[in-house]
Amino acid sequence: MTVRKPYVRPMASWWRRNPFFMRYMLRELTAPFVAIYALILLVGLVSLSQGEAAYNTWLSALTHPASIVLHWLLLVAITYHAITLWQVIPKTMPPVKLAGRALPERAVTVFGCLATLAVSIAAFLLVKLL
Amino acid sequence: MAETRTIEMEVLRYHPESDSAPRFQSYQVPFTPDMSVLQGLQYIKDHLDGSLTFRWSCRMAICGSCGHMVNGVPQLSCHTFLRDYFPAKVRVEPLNHFPILRDLAIDQTDFLTKLESIKPYIIPAEDKPVESGEFLQTPAQLDRFYQFSQCINCLLCYAACPQYGLNSDFIGPGAMALLHRYNADSRDGGRAERMPLVNEEEGVWSCTLVGYCSEVCPKGVNPANAVNQNKVNSALDYFFRFLMPKGGTR
Amino acid sequence: MQVITTDLVIVGGGGAGLRAAIAAAETDPGLGVALISKVVPMRSHTVAAEGGSAAVVRADDSLDNHFDDTVSGGDWLCDQDVVEYFVANSTREMTQLEHWGCPWSRKPDGHINVRFFGGMKVQRTWFAADKTGFHMLHTLFQTSIKYPSIKRYDEFFCCDLIVEDGRVQGVLAIEIATGELCLFKCRAAIMATGGAGRVYRQNTNAGIVTGDGMGIAYRHGVPLRDIEFMQWHPTALPGTGILITEACRGEGAILTNKDGYRYLQDYGMGPPDPWPRPKAMELGPRDRLSQAFWHEEQKGRTFSHPGGQAVNLDLRHLGAKKIHERLPLITEVAQTFVGVDAVVAPIPVCPAVHYTMGGIVCNVTTETPLKGLYAVGECSSVGIHGANRLGSNSLAELCVFGKPAGENAARYARSVAPNSSAAVEKLGEAAAQRVLALLQRERGERVATLRDEMHEAMETGVSIYRKADTMKIACDKIGQLRERYRKGIKLDDTSRAFNTEWLSAIELGLTLDVAEAIAHAALNRRESRGAHMRLDEYQERDDTNFLKHSLAHYSGDGAPRIDFSPVTITKSQPKLRVYGGEGKKAEMT
Repeated sequence: MTVRKPYVRPMASWWRRNPFFMRYMLRELTAPFVAIYALILLVGLVSLSQGEAAYNTWLSALTHPASIVLHWLLLVAITYHAITLWQVIPKTMPPVKLAGRALPERAVTVFGCLATLAVSIAAFLLVKLL
Repeated sequence: MAETRTIEMEVLRYHPESDSAPRFQSYQVPFTPDMSVLQGLQYIKDHLDGSLTFRWSCRMAICGSCGHMVNGVPQLSCHTFLRDYFPAKVRVEPLNHFPILRDLAIDQTDFLTKLESIKPYIIPAEDKPVESGEFLQTPAQLDRFYQFSQCINCLLCYAACPQYGLNSDFIGPGAMALLHRYNADSRDGGRAERMPLVNEEEGVWSCTLVGYCSEVCPKGVNPANAVNQNKVNSALDYFFRFLMPKGGTR
Repeated sequence: MQVITTDLVIVGGGGAGLRAAIAAAETDPGLGVALISKVVPMRSHTVAAEGGSAAVVRADDSLDNHFDDTVSGGDWLCDQDVVEYFVANSTREMTQLEHWGCPWSRKPDGHINVRFFGGMKVQRTWFAADKTGFHMLHTLFQTSIKYPSIKRYDEFFCCDLIVEDGRVQGVLAIEIATGELCLFKCRAAIMATGGAGRVYRQNTNAGIVTGDGMGIAYRHGVPLRDIEFMQWHPTALPGTGILITEACRGEGAILTNKDGYRYLQDYGMGPPDPWPRPKAMELGPRDRLSQAFWHEEQKGRTFSHPGGQAVNLDLRHLGAKKIHERLPLITEVAQTFVGVDAVVAPIPVCPAVHYTMGGIVCNVTTETPLKGLYAVGECSSVGIHGANRLGSNSLAELCVFGKPAGENAARYARSVAPNSSAAVEKLGEAAAQRVLALLQRERGERVATLRDEMHEAMETGVSIYRKADTMKIACDKIGQLRERYRKGIKLDDTSRAFNTEWLSAIELGLTLDVAEAIAHAALNRRESRGAHMRLDEYQERDDTNFLKHSLAHYSGDGAPRIDFSPVTITKSQPKLRVYGGEGKKAEMT
């Protein structure tokens, strides 16, 4: 006569239900790109330790059209990753207080993004000028 | 009188005695600009279909009863207005990630069990009889936990958390916010008792920082912040226990 | 029918029920305590209380001040021995809440801060921003989890008491999720079910405030005392009735009519300056302020808002910082529900039914005339509110009387023999059949039809101002509605699981009974006192004939029988209630 039959809804393709989740999944998907770029830099470092010839080989490999395409892809992915990461970073830390008032999350995000941009430009100029 | 228009409300229906799976039912609801989604549901209940089942109580966004998915977004339905969806239809479903008891009413016992497990009460740092007066607490000390004490247990954050949906053993944002609320209270000395829960895989470590819980929180509790601050606490706890196996962070 | 055997049943999981449960568990940890509530405790209507809770803390305050404010505020219809107990125990209870973690707002030195409320000589209202009820309720609920002997039955709807051998021996409830009937066999019960504001349409109350516990006790012969005294809160949002706390005025907000004029000065509350000033103008008591609104409306000096006639509650001069710090909920509510930013514009407000001053009669120990039944909180009439409750006395009441309710009921439960099983179960079965019969009606009227007609009858007949002829109409109308209710309510939903329409039908039956008691008690009080104001020949307070509590007795299908009982006076003889007058500007903390 009396029934308890709770219905549990499936979770399949949950991340397609909400644009917020799609952006989150994309953020997670761009994480390997960060790792790939780190690996490329690591290879460069290793080749540098192996002498000038090895280093030049690494440098010329970078100029290969496939590498250029890969790097553009990496730039886009890592930019997305950096921005979305800065969006969630404020949620991970205790509130930043300035003159007794908590800094809004947005301010941390904007500051982080600008700092990332500034460091990137600085690195770019460093490489270009040297 | 303000103008009355008519909106289509599409509501999820599920009856455990007669349905094997949920379905949607549509209603034409006349509404005025000040009417909330909750008032739309009440109109249906009073005039169109007395069998529609949903929870509600205070209608002023403080009791936490009327959380629903409104067009796919976890919302307090007393706090969400029909005018903002018109002329399109509005779709109301029970909160995601919870079993459905009937129609829009979800089973909230899992949350209540979790709330009980986190020791959501002051475990006094020092013994002090009531007769000797209040504990002193400066506004700055109050500020350290006050935001986390604003949780109305509406469960929107659980409906926003895919990790909870995928694994309901995860303690989840709301309960962790309340755990943090007590740990951060200057009158409390129960942190060590609560840390084992934090440290669990199903404690803070199931969180992958989606961050949607904080977006949907109607009270600005920022539960993602509580969870992620406690990842740091948990890591430190582990580290200190590693260094000092006997003492830990006590 | 499921049968659960326990010792003490507490009906209602709001502030009063939770405080009682904790007290019972502390008094006698071995005693079985069943806390049954039709909503999960933190959804209870205590959650919506905003402004604060009164207890003497300041050096310039005294228990006598609190006593005097309460008794004069109640127009001398308070039982003064009970008020003495109340004021003497309130500070301890508020401190106890502090020890349990309630996030009271503080002064810079870490001590509790207090604010003004209406009818108060000295600042006395403890507050947690403007979410005091919310914080008190969550503190009590979360603290109750500490006590293993408290077994919660969340979302169990209490529909009857089982009285056998002259004492309460059981509580009948519906497990909402399944619709299964459940008999709690017990030795004592505490009613902590809240008020009956939903008797009216325009009210500040949650949907659950339907007077169930009052109706149930009343049907079992316990009189409802002073039930004609309904409190209209002067500042609610027009249309929805959502509460805009008195704390706004406690912090210095003003009320103006459509001409920007502080109209309260015309009703014995002035002069307007200096402001703020205790017990004057906007810091007058609620009955006077709601009555002043009524007069302004008659004079055409209110303005028209989509939700009805309104006046302005103006906070602007307090400044953004103070408004956001002290009144965050109000700011949010005004923005969401009427689209007003309180920092830059006044909030439109009007009176709405807010609080049921009367209720289940009980003494200072919370004992009712029915053996084994205790009552506490808004559902009870312990005797502290008289004819008009002072703002912030009700939150304090939950704790001050919740504690003895739990303690006394626990002791009583221990002292009596376990109940006579077979007879109780038989009575329980019969009560269950009556409840189930509602599901089986073939034809009848909709719940909403009767409910809306009840609202209409009460709003017109038993409102802020009352007259014999219109009250009589209301009495007759409610009598007819009860008759129609008996003839049949037709439910769309005849299933069992989570059938909220069924629950609404049960609630409506109880609400109608309480409504009838209110109307008849009002008609029989042939004087004007506190919140009971008449426009016919009884416009004055009549201490000779009516310095008495009214008692409404249930008479089955007929109209209630009304009689009167004496008021306990210890140290304050009735005087004229005086507000306003000259005075110095209050120092605000």
